[in-house]
Amino acid sequence: MATVESRTAYWEQAKEQGFDLSWLEKLREHVAGEGVEEQSANDTGRVQGSIPRGDVARFGAYTFRTKSEVWAHNLTKLYEEFITRQWSSATDIPWETIQPLPDDIEAAQCQLATFFTQVEFIASDVPGRFISTMSPDYQEVRLALLAQVMDESRHLDVFRKRALANGGGLMRMIDSVSDVVGGSTDNAREFTEFSSRLHITGEGNVLTLFRLGEMMAYNEAEKAIYRRCAQDEARHVAIGVLHLRYMNEFAPERRDEIHCYLDEGESRQATGAGGENPAGQSQLTSGALAMLLGGGKDKVDEGQKILMAIRQRQTKEYFQRLKSAGFDDRIHNGRVNPALLEQYKAAA
Amino acid sequence: MSERRSTALKFPSVEWFRALQELVNEDEEFRRLGSIDAVMGIKVGERVFVINFEAFECTEVTEGTEYDLIDADFYLEMTVEQWQDLVTNTRENNGADLSHTLNTLDLMIEGGISDNATGDQLRADVFFRVNQSLQHFFDSSARLETVFE
Ligand SMILES: [Fe+2]
Ligand SMILES: [Fe+2]
Repeated sequence: MATVESRTAYWEQAKEQGFDLSWLEKLREHVAGEGVEEQSANDTGRVQGSIPRGDVARFGAYTFRTKSEVWAHNLTKLYEEFITRQWSSATDIPWETIQPLPDDIEAAQCQLATFFTQVEFIASDVPGRFISTMSPDYQEVRLALLAQVMDESRHLDVFRKRALANGGGLMRMIDSVSDVVGGSTDNAREFTEFSSRLHITGEGNVLTLFRLGEMMAYNEAEKAIYRRCAQDEARHVAIGVLHLRYMNEFAPERRDEIHCYLDEGESRQATGAGGENPAGQSQLTSGALAMLLGGGKDKVDEGQKILMAIRQRQTKEYFQRLKSAGFDDRIHNGRVNPALLEQYKAAA
Repeated sequence: MSERRSTALKFPSVEWFRALQELVNEDEEFRRLGSIDAVMGIKVGERVFVINFEAFECTEVTEGTEYDLIDADFYLEMTVEQWQDLVTNTRENNGADLSHTLNTLDLMIEGGISDNATGDQLRADVFFRVNQSLQHFFDSSARLETVFE
């Protein structure tokens, strides 16, 4: 094995033999900084902290090169949680427990599985777009989003498998095309716009639905799917809350703009317009949920009652997340959606 | 959950929760569920317990007071009877049945069972993020001989 002394001797010998080792000295001069740049000049795909070199084509041309546009504290810790809590649709779901179900129940499960497959498609597709347009200097944010995409691909896969596993198959796609979660997530051009729609409104709601999953499950496989997905979804919500909290503190000039995103998300959450909240009213998917929760097509009313309680829970958690992020002034100054405020008061 | 412990432990007590701590810390399945960094408060009637998790371990169990709940990420609160029902159900079914999982109890008991004492949902959400580890922790009580006060 090479020791420090033998390496030094080797380098001395190399120098004596005429090799230019000045580049080694240059490496010693450059020690990567701990801090993250407020403005990133990195346009070349250079990994965070590495030594720049000249004459590199600016192939990155990243749209997001300002820290306060994308940053959140503590994402590294969250990333560690992401990677240790991964699971597999092949080995962690007891598929053998799925038995033939009554037609109405199977159809409702498959309608919901189709909805979730569509939701997961957007939830993996859209963050992916932002990852590739963000400076590599914001590595922590990139890693958290990459981990989210990994989660979402597993969700995409597991709900599709459930739809196909028991004879039902994929059902009708939901009424809205691009506005799947949180309202116009797919159209978001700006990171905070995207994060507030997807992480806060959309995934906040989907998290409650996944938690509800074990009550709609008719076998151990479905229970396992929903339980595992709920844990994953809560991590995605955390990315959004951490980002909004950072924006509140370090980019207060953008608070009004962020309130506008929240206005839109709330209105869709309250009315169910756009179809992104299957617990919303009068949706194809809310019918499926009510049937599964009630226990069949003749018990939809009981399911609807549970759904009403769930909507209140979604709203209570959303309001508390606003508080965690520092945007709860809207609850007290009359800006918050009145229908949601009613639900919140009922839940309190 | 096999091989039950024979000495009866009183619920609620520090000893009871420490027995769970010991069980999960030597349990490969608990580790496989992933890392868990959380301070969990438990409120059983008037009594309060604080349980710390770090990385893949349950690191500390103490008895505390209501004031300690402020520092917890989330705390689980039920009446003495509801806790006893949970512990009994877990023992009888070798793990909580569907209507007694922490998640279902939180959805079905009015007002829920889990919250952050200061209304900080980011910390309250930790209950959802590591839920299956917490469930495994409580399910391990099927291996304990439990007596109630
Ligand atoms: Fe997902
Ligand atoms: Fe998600």
